[in-house]
Amino acid sequence: MTRLARFEQTVLPHLDAAYNLARWLTRNEHDAEDVVQEAFMRAMRYFDRLKGNEARPWLLAIVRNTCWSWLEKNRPAEVVALDDAGTVSADAESLGQVSGMDANPEVILLRSANRKLVNQALEELPVAFREVIVMREIEDLSYKEIASIAGIPAGTVMSRLSRGREMLRRAIENRMRRAS
Amino acid sequence: MSLGTRKDPGEEPLIARDATYYRAPDALRARVMSAVRREAREEARPAFWRWGGMAAAFAVVALVSWNVALLQARGSEEDRLAREVETAHVRSLMVDGHLNDVASTDQHTVKPWFEGKLDFAPNVADPAASGFALMGGRLDYVNGRAVAALTYRHRLHVVNVFEWPSAGGDSAPVLLTRRGYAIVHWTHGGLAYWAISDTAGEDVLKLAQLLS
Repeated sequence: MTRLARFEQTVLPHLDAAYNLARWLTRNEHDAEDVVQEAFMRAMRYFDRLKGNEARPWLLAIVRNTCWSWLEKNRPAEVVALDDAGTVSADAESLGQVSGMDANPEVILLRSANRKLVNQALEELPVAFREVIVMREIEDLSYKEIASIAGIPAGTVMSRLSRGREMLRRAIENRMRRAS
Repeated sequence: MSLGTRKDPGEEPLIARDATYYRAPDALRARVMSAVRREAREEARPAFWRWGGMAAAFAVVALVSWNVALLQARGSEEDRLAREVETAHVRSLMVDGHLNDVASTDQHTVKPWFEGKLDFAPNVADPAASGFALMGGRLDYVNGRAVAALTYRHRLHVVNVFEWPSAGGDSAPVLLTRRGYAIVHWTHGGLAYWAISDTAGEDVLKLAQLLS
């Protein structure tokens, strides 16, 4: 089988995942399409470095890096440096505060929040938090996979995830309060 | 780690599960596939051919500035032949059955077919391994004489290669483009070659190299 045929068989099936991630990170369909095309060309170039059958996280890492480069160039204000060393412990505490939320009526309310509301709130999340939530909850990737895609430790993935969920929860609540 | 023991993060409510999963539009799928193929082709091509087109362009520019008069004389001859070659190429593809008098992928079938029909033995190659499959050949009429026209398939593109005897010495391939067609002409071993196709100029140059 030629290199191109192998690429089309192993990498191309993950086009939806690539587009979904790029669409959530750029928040714009045209920019997402440009980023995805660029990412696939890079993937073809570095195809020999793909080992085993981990094509999806491998491709998504390229898409994610292409997105971040694109954001840094075109929307530098959206890419803010995060002090993860300082936020991990703080997140562990805030996680303690929000534990037990499942039974809370607020959460039940949240679950009925419509798709549009969730989409809008998620889009407004800072990109570093948005990307881990998209990868975990929409793309259903494991912590380990997210860690390798984003190039951050698994502990940071968890802390960003819980902090991101907390921010998202508040954003949705605020929107619902304003709507009612 | 305390985070894990305090609460299994996997059990947290999925806040964003109602968010949209954006599927790639069909147009993007097509766009990505063609970009990937372009990228694969670019990689497969040796550096020589990547820069060959540019080098050829520089060479032509240099020639122009060196001797305008000579080039004009050659240019009108070249232009006339290019027009004839283009006409013959287009006509060969107009109706099914025009392309080949002898349709065969076997060079040992195609070459003997010309015997007795021409006053020279055309060069018939089969560079299928390099991406150019022999399709067959026919008689045609170019430059005021009967010539051999060999046809090769490169992916979905047909390449016509016209051959006739030339008194001049060998000359390196020259790439021309006319109305979207890539035309490459060169002289080798006493034969003038004119190759034409709607594929990329580099591809026709590659065939020229394979036939020389």
